[in-house]
Amino acid sequence: MTGLPRKLILERLPYLGLDIEGTDDESVRIEYNPNRPDFSTDYGIARALRGLVGKERGLKEYKAYAGRLQVHVDKSVAKVRPFIACAVARGLKLDEETVRQLISMQEDLHNGLGRRRRKVAIGLHNLDSITPPVYYGTKDPGFAFVPLGSDEHMSLKDILEKTETGVAYAKILAGFEDYPMLTDSKGVVLSFPPIINGQATKVDAKTKNVFVDVTSTDARLGKEALAIVCAALADAGGKLENVTINARKGKETTPQLAPAKVLFDQKVAESLTGLTLTKKDAKAYLQRSRLDLDSKGFVTIPCYRVDLIHPVDLAEEIAIGYGLDKFTPMYPASPEPGQLDPATSSLERMCETMAEAGFNETMGYDLLDEPTLYGKFVRTTWSKLEVENPRSMEHSLLRDSLLPSLMAVLSRNTKNTYPQMVFEAGRVFQKESDGPKEFFMLAALSAHTAASFTEAKSHLAALVKRHFGAELETRAASHWAFSEGRCALATVGEIELGHLGEITPQALAGFGVDVPVCGFELRVPKKKKPEKPA
Amino acid sequence: MLATLADGPENFDVLVSNSGLEPDQVRRSISWLSSKGLIAVTETTSAKLVASGQPAELVFIEKLQDMGGEASVAFLRNAVGEDRGFSAAMGRAISAGWVEIKEGMMGQIVILKDKEAGKFLQDLMASVKRGVDESKIPESQRSTIADLVKRGMVTRTETKTVNVSITGDGKLALTSAVDVAPDRLTAEVLASVRSTGSDVKLRAIDVTAKAPAFYPGRRHPVKELIAEVREVYLSMGFAEVTGDAIQPALWNFDALFTPQDHPARELQDTFYLKDQADKSITRTAVVAKIAAAHEFGGDTGSKGWRYNWNVEEARRLVLRTHNTAVTIQATRDSKDKETRVFSVARVYRNESLDYKHLAELHQMEGIVIGEGLNLRHLMGILTKFYAKLGMSGVKLWPSYFPYTEPSMQVMVYYDKVGKWLEMGGSGIFRPEVTWPLGVKKPVLAWGCGLDRLLMLRMGLEDIRELYNNDLSWLRERQEIAGP
Repeated sequence: MTGLPRKLILERLPYLGLDIEGTDDESVRIEYNPNRPDFSTDYGIARALRGLVGKERGLKEYKAYAGRLQVHVDKSVAKVRPFIACAVARGLKLDEETVRQLISMQEDLHNGLGRRRRKVAIGLHNLDSITPPVYYGTKDPGFAFVPLGSDEHMSLKDILEKTETGVAYAKILAGFEDYPMLTDSKGVVLSFPPIINGQATKVDAKTKNVFVDVTSTDARLGKEALAIVCAALADAGGKLENVTINARKGKETTPQLAPAKVLFDQKVAESLTGLTLTKKDAKAYLQRSRLDLDSKGFVTIPCYRVDLIHPVDLAEEIAIGYGLDKFTPMYPASPEPGQLDPATSSLERMCETMAEAGFNETMGYDLLDEPTLYGKFVRTTWSKLEVENPRSMEHSLLRDSLLPSLMAVLSRNTKNTYPQMVFEAGRVFQKESDGPKEFFMLAALSAHTAASFTEAKSHLAALVKRHFGAELETRAASHWAFSEGRCALATVGEIELGHLGEITPQALAGFGVDVPVCGFELRVPKKKKPEKPA
Repeated sequence: MLATLADGPENFDVLVSNSGLEPDQVRRSISWLSSKGLIAVTETTSAKLVASGQPAELVFIEKLQDMGGEASVAFLRNAVGEDRGFSAAMGRAISAGWVEIKEGMMGQIVILKDKEAGKFLQDLMASVKRGVDESKIPESQRSTIADLVKRGMVTRTETKTVNVSITGDGKLALTSAVDVAPDRLTAEVLASVRSTGSDVKLRAIDVTAKAPAFYPGRRHPVKELIAEVREVYLSMGFAEVTGDAIQPALWNFDALFTPQDHPARELQDTFYLKDQADKSITRTAVVAKIAAAHEFGGDTGSKGWRYNWNVEEARRLVLRTHNTAVTIQATRDSKDKETRVFSVARVYRNESLDYKHLAELHQMEGIVIGEGLNLRHLMGILTKFYAKLGMSGVKLWPSYFPYTEPSMQVMVYYDKVGKWLEMGGSGIFRPEVTWPLGVKKPVLAWGCGLDRLLMLRMGLEDIRELYNNDLSWLRERQEIAGP
């Protein structure tokens, strides 16, 4: 399509912002960004590539000739799906591959620009199976037609409830009594927007003339989508023709393919790129992006470029046209020295002490499952913080303690040698009346035949002495993780740090750990900022 | 041990219990002494036999005798039990000549022929009932026993015994040694050294033998890499910022010019907290400006996204999907002054886990705010930053993020693996992002994932290994310090 050697194509495609996912003898699989729906077909990519390598520069203009086809819009669509824009393309020479590209483009536009069809839906139809004029109105749910891919009549209601596409997009029509319908003068159904086309107007490799309908809830997006489709059809050899849309508020001619004009902001382009641009340079670079710059300083933007909304977007086109690989980097020295976050550094030092004491640091997930957080410890009260629609129930609840994560580690490691001493410094979350709260905790567990409360206390006392410069105090307390009578509240002065003790036998059984486990969990207190001297 | 053997040979188990040493230690001593020719080692095997079942032919004979020596085949089949080997039993009884079969009126009849039928076998079973040493079995019984073992009626258990005896040289070595060299130093031995002034020689040990594995305490590799990354940013003059994991959609999406109907905001990629929203967010001040930027570009000269912005969407609480939710708030806090900040933090994606995807992962991100900064400076920073992480080359390609323009994808040449790899993105914040925060200076930004870099460092194939917390992996993993 581009007439360029394969090697050059592969080397240059990334400079268009395309991700090469894989290659084989026949094709290259690429991923494109959602801001460039014009890259949804080979035509769009080839058009851009020809510009970038300098084979074809400046605007590629698309024109639609006068056409006679009329579309009549009934006022009943006003609430459900008010806008429609259409076009005709004649004289196409389609093959299997082109048809595949057009359908793929249609789906990409539906999902991206069309916001999963809610805003825009596109239908491609075999013009020769249509008897104009075309009517855009509504029908009741009992109305039936033969949908694409079927050979039987189905009612609109059944389509929404029983077909895959129907079920996927039914919510767009939820709450409406009548549904949008596109038919011709003989009552042949072109499509049931935004759900599915009619079988009668199906496009295949033998189709020569195509009718495009774009229905939408956002008129601007509908027109943008139509422009992109028209450009692709024109590139596929079609001659574009206008369609007149007759709506209650007046007549409109679509498609609108005239390029837009925007004043070029040279200052923005220069300050963003760091390049010094003459008008001649700017024009040359813009032309490589298939834009143009006229003598009055206006940038002309083709109809299929729907992403250029601010001068910075044009500055990027300049950078791309210039070639990102041609820039010389400059390193700006820092005016100030760097700084680490004191709270993070402090917690890291506590972790160092735990490692020095012989503990292995673990990193658990913040999202866990109910049995681990709750069930295995036989907790009687707990306020859950849940996420909506998790992909896996194993990651559905935000943990409010590190002890379940550490017990899960011990549970998974029963085949490894003992003693096992593990710790984690991690985030926990709590549900409170004024919203969720989160903070860091440090917890450690020691598992071996002689693990006991005394060991946990010795370790904690050493940690506290080193990091708070104070003596640990303990008094009897209750905690869901630790056995009654073997559990204490740890305090330093007036600050309550957390709890320590021996893990309950029930929890040990629940986690399948066959040795006693002792440990502690502290909330890391916020270090007070040293007071500035008076 | 030599001293013990001087009194006579002993077997292995006795040596272990007498010496108070570990079996491994005794084994090592035996092998050392044997290599020096001071002891002789022999292995004997003994077997024990014990009855483990009742041969069916004995039951057969017993039942026949109960019937007075005559019974129908059908009766006997029932009495012995077909599933307990009746047919084989009858076959044996016949070929041993114990019984004969006659045709009766209602089928075949079995008649006891030999009065001593089965006696030999019965006596034999009785003798092995409680277990007997194989060597004590008389010759005449051996073949029958072998057959019974094969049939599973008698169980044979073999034990090997290691017998150690002192050799002539061993005796010589014993007598020539003045004292038996001690194995370890005790308080008494040390006291005698102090008092006598003479040294004590310890018994030599096998220094090539394996010692038990010892695992020092250790940091998690992700934390080690985070420490290294923090140092890199620090060395480039960046200040660390932190933020909450739970953010309102306002900071995770809206402030980053991500439209409210953008697919990335949908449930499939983002963890929304159930029934949680930040009601304090209202369409005033900064929020109003963000809304304006979305709707029509605000004061930036942009067209904006041109849709109706909804404050309810912005209030929804999410688990941050990227670190930019934190750095954008640092941008607001900069108050348009020259700033360099970084954040290394956990982010969350509502994804299924597989060998290259996690639901919770770590990202590193930096932003630079400064007068006159442009794309070339961003490129300069990227080159220096990645060089410090062991990437000697940086290639930049155009990319797209809703909040930056220009945007670049960063490819780096990782010396350690000798390949070009994708390493995150970068860009300059759009005016629709900076204007609502009152920032006029250019804001350069870049970020990438940390877990993937760690996988490359450690040569891992499955990203989940990083968070499995398998202790043998944590204990034995390679060091990762340094690029």
